[in-house]
Amino acid sequence: MSLTEVNHWGIVKKQYKFKLKAYAGVFTSMMVVQVIALLLSLGGTGGSSGSSSSGFSLTTNSYSGSMVIAFTMVWAFITAILITTKAYRDDDFTFVTNRLTSNLSNMLFLTIASIIAGTTSLLTGYLLKVIVYLFFDVDLLISSSQTFSTLLIGLVATIMYILLFAALGYLVGVLAQLSKMLIIILVALFIGYPIYASTGTGIRDEPTLFITIGQFYQGESTLLLLVIKIILTVIVLFFTSLIITNRLEVKQ
Amino acid sequence: MNVIECNQLSKAYGKFDALNLLSFRIEENKITGLIGRNGAGKTTLLKIIAGYLKKSSGELRVFSEDPFNNLKLSANTIFVDDDMNFPPALTIRQLLQAAGTFYQNWDMDLALRLFDYFEFNPNQKHDNLSKGKRSTFNMIVGLAARCPITIFDEPTTGMDAAVRKDFYRALLKDYLAHPRTIILSSHLLNEMVEILEDILLIKNGEKYFQMSIADVKEFAIGISGQKQIVNEWITGKEILYKKSYTLGNTYVVVRNDLSEAELESAKRKGLEISPVAADDLCIYLTGDTKGGIDDVFDRG
Repeated sequence: MSLTEVNHWGIVKKQYKFKLKAYAGVFTSMMVVQVIALLLSLGGTGGSSGSSSSGFSLTTNSYSGSMVIAFTMVWAFITAILITTKAYRDDDFTFVTNRLTSNLSNMLFLTIASIIAGTTSLLTGYLLKVIVYLFFDVDLLISSSQTFSTLLIGLVATIMYILLFAALGYLVGVLAQLSKMLIIILVALFIGYPIYASTGTGIRDEPTLFITIGQFYQGESTLLLLVIKIILTVIVLFFTSLIITNRLEVKQ
Repeated sequence: MNVIECNQLSKAYGKFDALNLLSFRIEENKITGLIGRNGAGKTTLLKIIAGYLKKSSGELRVFSEDPFNNLKLSANTIFVDDDMNFPPALTIRQLLQAAGTFYQNWDMDLALRLFDYFEFNPNQKHDNLSKGKRSTFNMIVGLAARCPITIFDEPTTGMDAAVRKDFYRALLKDYLAHPRTIILSSHLLNEMVEILEDILLIKNGEKYFQMSIADVKEFAIGISGQKQIVNEWITGKEILYKKSYTLGNTYVVVRNDLSEAELESAKRKGLEISPVAADDLCIYLTGDTKGGIDDVFDRG
C-alpha cells in the first residue's frame, strides 16, 4: 500500500471544518450566555437614577449591550480553556493530525468563533434597545448617535476584545494541561493577587498591575492602534501555546 | 522491506521502565501479533509507533521516519483500541463521514456495509454504545481507513464470541484484498493465531522472541508421565514450564531441540509426548513463576 502525501494547510482546513461540526455545543452555550446577559440587561445597565421634586418625578435608565459583551468575553475565555482539555485534544488524534495542525485548527476555530460571538453580542445590544422600545413604557427614548462607521468600529473592537480573551484562555488551558500545579499558581495570581492588593492601605490599595494592563488595551481611542495591539498580543499568546504543546504526549 | 525498525528502544514513565532496550523489525504487508501479559508494555510500544508517546531513548523508524509528531505518518497510520476518542456531538454515521475526509484510502462502502451487518443505528452517539458495540465501531473505522499501518490494540475487548470471529474474518478478507502492515495486540492468542504470520512476544518491556507462527508451533513439546521418570529424563534440558498433578504425574514443557534418539527414549520409558499450542506456550514463556497460580495457594 503506497503512502499518502499530506500538506499541513490542507489538514488544518479539514480539522477546522470538522471542529465546526464537532464543537457545535460551544455555540449553543454562547447563545445561552447571551440570552441570560440580555435578560439581566433589561433592568437597565448602569447609571439609573431617579429624582423627584414637588409635583413630578424623573427616572432615567440606560441600556447598552456592554453586559452581553462582557459575558461573551468570559464565555470565550472558558471555551478556549475547554478545547485544550484532554477529551478535546485526544479527539484530534483519532484522525490525522500532529500537534502543529491541531493547534492551528484550534486557533482558527477560536478566531472564527470570536468573530461570530463578537457580531452576535453587538447585535444583541441593538436587540436590547429594540425590546426596550417595543415593550417598555418609556416617555422619552434618547439613543446615542449611530452611524454605519460607529457600528463598524464597535464591531471590530468587540471582536478584538473577545479574541483577546479567547487567546488568553487558550494559553491558560495549555498551561493547566502542562501541570496541575500551574492551575493553583494561576488562580493565586489572577484571583488572589487582586484581593490581596486591594485589602491594604496606602500603596497597596489597588491591583495596580492589572489596572495598568487593562488600561493598555482599554484606554486606546484609535481603532487601528487597538487592533494592532490586540493582534500582536494574540499572536504572542497563541505562539507561546504552540511552543508549549508541541512536545506534549497524548493518550497516556 | 522493513516498515518498522526498532533499535534499543526504551520508554520510562518516571522511574518505571515500560520498555527496555527493545529491538525488532516488522516487514511490510505482514500481520504481526504483539503478545505479552498485562503490563508487558504492549500498549506503550504501539502508542510510540502511532506517534502518541515520545520514546525515552533508542531508535524507532516507521517508513524511515520518526513517528512522534509526524503528520505524514499520522495520515498513514491508524491506532484502534477500545478507548478511541470521538467528539460526543456527532452521530456515529457522521463520525464515519468525518473519518472519510481525513483518510485518503477510506472505503465508505465497506464501512456502511459493516455498519449494516453489525446492525448499528446511524443516529446513535458513540458514547451511548455498549462496550462491545463501541469496540465493533472502532474496528470498522480501523478497517475502512485502509491505512498502510493499521494498529489494533486489544481490539476485541467486550465483543461477544460471534462478533470476535466476524472481526478476525473481516480483517483477514480485507487484508487479502488490500495488503497492508497490521499489528494486532492481544493476550488472547488462541483466537487470532490463524490469521497471524509473525509473533512478537514481549515480557517486562523486553523482547522475548519474534518468529513466524509455524516456528512457534514447533518451538516446544510437552512431556507427561510419572514424576520420577519425567524428572530423570529432563535433567540437562531447557525447561519452560512444569506442573505437578496428584497421583504423582507431572507435565513438563521443554524446548524442542531434541534428537530423534532422545524422543525414542522418552517413548520407551512410557512418557507421553504432545505438541504445545502457541497460546499456551506464550503463557508458559511469559510466566514469572514455574508453578503458576497453584503455587500461591499451595502453602502447607
